[in-house]
Amino acid sequence: MNGHVIVVDLGYGDAGKGSIVDWLCAAASRAGQPVRAVARFNGGAQAAHHVLAPSGRPHPFAQFGSGTFTPGTPTFLSRFMLVDPLALAAEAEHLGRLGVGDPFGLVTVDRGALLTTPYHRAANRAREEARGAARHGSCGLGIGETASYALAYPADAPRAGDLTAPRALLRKLALLRDRLTPDPPGGRGPGGAPGGGAQGPPPEDVAAVFRAVGDRVTLAGDGHLAGLLRQGPVVFEGAQGVLLDEWRGFHPYTTWSTTTFENAETLLAEGGAAGGATRLGVTRTYQTRHGPGPFPTEDPTLPVAEPHNADGRWQGPFRAGHLDAVALRYAVRVAGGVDAVALTHLDTARQFAGRLGICRGYRIGAGTEVVTAIEPGPERDLGYQESLTARLLAARPVYGPDGDLPAGPDGGDWPDAVAEIAGAPVTVCSVGPAAGDKTTDPAGARSR
Amino acid sequence: MGSGYWSSDVYETAERLRGGASAFGYSDSGARSVHPDLDPFDVGQRESRDSDEHPESLAIAVLFDVTGSMGSVPRALQKKLPSLLGLLKDGGYARDPQLMFGAIGDATCDRAPLQVGQFESDNRMDRDLERILLEGGGGGQKTESYELAMYFMARHTAIDCLTKRGRRGYLFIIGDELPYPGVKPREVSAWIGDELPQPVAVRNLVAQLTRRWDTYFILPAGASYAGDGQVLGTWRGLLGQNVIELADLDAVCETIALTVGLGEEAIDLAAGLADLGDVGSAAGAAVQRALAGLGTARRALPAGRGTGATGAGGTRSDDSDLDFPSGSVLL
Repeated sequence: MNGHVIVVDLGYGDAGKGSIVDWLCAAASRAGQPVRAVARFNGGAQAAHHVLAPSGRPHPFAQFGSGTFTPGTPTFLSRFMLVDPLALAAEAEHLGRLGVGDPFGLVTVDRGALLTTPYHRAANRAREEARGAARHGSCGLGIGETASYALAYPADAPRAGDLTAPRALLRKLALLRDRLTPDPPGGRGPGGAPGGGAQGPPPEDVAAVFRAVGDRVTLAGDGHLAGLLRQGPVVFEGAQGVLLDEWRGFHPYTTWSTTTFENAETLLAEGGAAGGATRLGVTRTYQTRHGPGPFPTEDPTLPVAEPHNADGRWQGPFRAGHLDAVALRYAVRVAGGVDAVALTHLDTARQFAGRLGICRGYRIGAGTEVVTAIEPGPERDLGYQESLTARLLAARPVYGPDGDLPAGPDGGDWPDAVAEIAGAPVTVCSVGPAAGDKTTDPAGARSR
Repeated sequence: MGSGYWSSDVYETAERLRGGASAFGYSDSGARSVHPDLDPFDVGQRESRDSDEHPESLAIAVLFDVTGSMGSVPRALQKKLPSLLGLLKDGGYARDPQLMFGAIGDATCDRAPLQVGQFESDNRMDRDLERILLEGGGGGQKTESYELAMYFMARHTAIDCLTKRGRRGYLFIIGDELPYPGVKPREVSAWIGDELPQPVAVRNLVAQLTRRWDTYFILPAGASYAGDGQVLGTWRGLLGQNVIELADLDAVCETIALTVGLGEEAIDLAAGLADLGDVGSAAGAAVQRALAGLGTARRALPAGRGTGATGAGGTRSDDSDLDFPSGSVLL
């Protein structure tokens, strides 16, 4: 695969974007045309793209690009990324222990990128706790608060450029703390803590640590990405999944982020490479979802193992189910189409041959009619998305033409089946977490 | 998506960045950021003070370009440091010299555009030299952030030699490139922490700087823009005859010592060169060529300033008249 690539998850996240990006970078390096940079274009530090370090130890990439283990692969955090400087420092330390030299030196941040702070986090957790059982499946990292605060106070939202403007940063942090963690009514503070007053560490302390992070990364303005795009292939690493998209996901069980190809295409166009990237969609051979929200094909009896995806305290339980062709087709459509598909967890499909099915349609509620497509609504119509959510929450999966029994393909037929659903060839098949577990030849994956 | 693998506690992060794990030790990741002791941000004043031990302190600051070809300067300084102090004291050029070292990079692209140590009376300043981060990058645009360093020296130094005795300190800037045309509020805010209402043109900065510091620019031959007419011309335009072209960088300590000796009128050039011969320095020829153009009697302050410095308490209240009155910066 030559040239720029955009990697997007066609489900609810966790499809294996990280291992695909890792493989793309390793393969390009071996082919003598190393990836110039991995660029993040949505989400924030809540990503956890698991990749195996050369030593075999896993690293959940949160803000560093998942190509970091291929030496000489820098990370670019674009202005669409929500940057968490504290989590970045922790991740850099872990990467250092895994043998990555000078991790901070690999990172360039667009000055316009929003910063996530401890105050966003505190407000996020307070809000989720207040929702109680009606949680939205937030990660508790303050991503949504970062985005919503910037919408409410665009001029006061801390941005990466403020990392080297300490006075402005301090002013913005103090404002942020006062606004997001105010005196609580009834004596219950954010996080359920008794007492009132502003929560979290003093802004001075946060500012000092942010500045130290700012000293270690490189800050860039407009034009940086254009330079990278000219110098070599850039891999755009998406976070989360299309079915969680803020506008196209099943509201309100969504994320504060555009999870389609859109942001990456915008960046490419600004960098003089409009339309110049391969749009690679990633899906598993089955479906997973973290936390609440519609999941018609969920099957608690599926014994699929998930070493990295434990139930999250803030996100709620990790759920697994059968591949949902209806949802996958919808994802491809609202994402604007894919050029190619990376199919992961073929090993699981083989291991559970005969037990994993593909859902071809839904029956809604008491209805008997089989619905085989989710119709995309108008642009940015959350009311419509909410109506989809209601229908999907009442949907019963239909696996075969005649009944409710799972009827999936044999292990070897998965790539063809998924290619037919997605309307694009399966060009990468994965049978495990390591780069060596990937093959560009579906036939090869079949025979293994 | 996951649930936050990376601890984002602010104090754990501070500890992390301070260098708990080896990957973050100063010598390692420190290669990318300023040592806290040299960080000019929010430091108030760098002070050169009289003491019982050193009753006649004389402030001498040496700031050097650490980018590109200038990276060998700190090593040359370190090697010659003992002889610099020895020359100054033994030769009687200055009774109680207090030296400060600092480094200059490029605020438009470096992580450490300004690093400043403390004034020290003994070889403790050696430690500051070791901690100076060498950028190695930079250069190439023919411009470095000398103006940021000059701003710091003009605004953030307090020196008893001036306030108590009306004698300016000595500032040596060693470099081979041009200053930016003015000091920018954004950079001053980012690296020093002051809020400037508007940019200050470098010429105005020099006017204010030289009220406190007898300022020299040392341009080493063989440096990337040495002999460049524009670099030399610009600095001569700013500092007049106080621009020293030095053929041999190894002679930088001797050059500084003799310049101070000349300025203090402790020696003339011939006597200074003889002193160098006495201590076995091979730098004499280079120093002679470099300093031949320096006149004498540049020590007098502008009329009406500095000479009546001994009031009842022996000190002036402060240097406020030397500072930038708020809002009155010139363009």
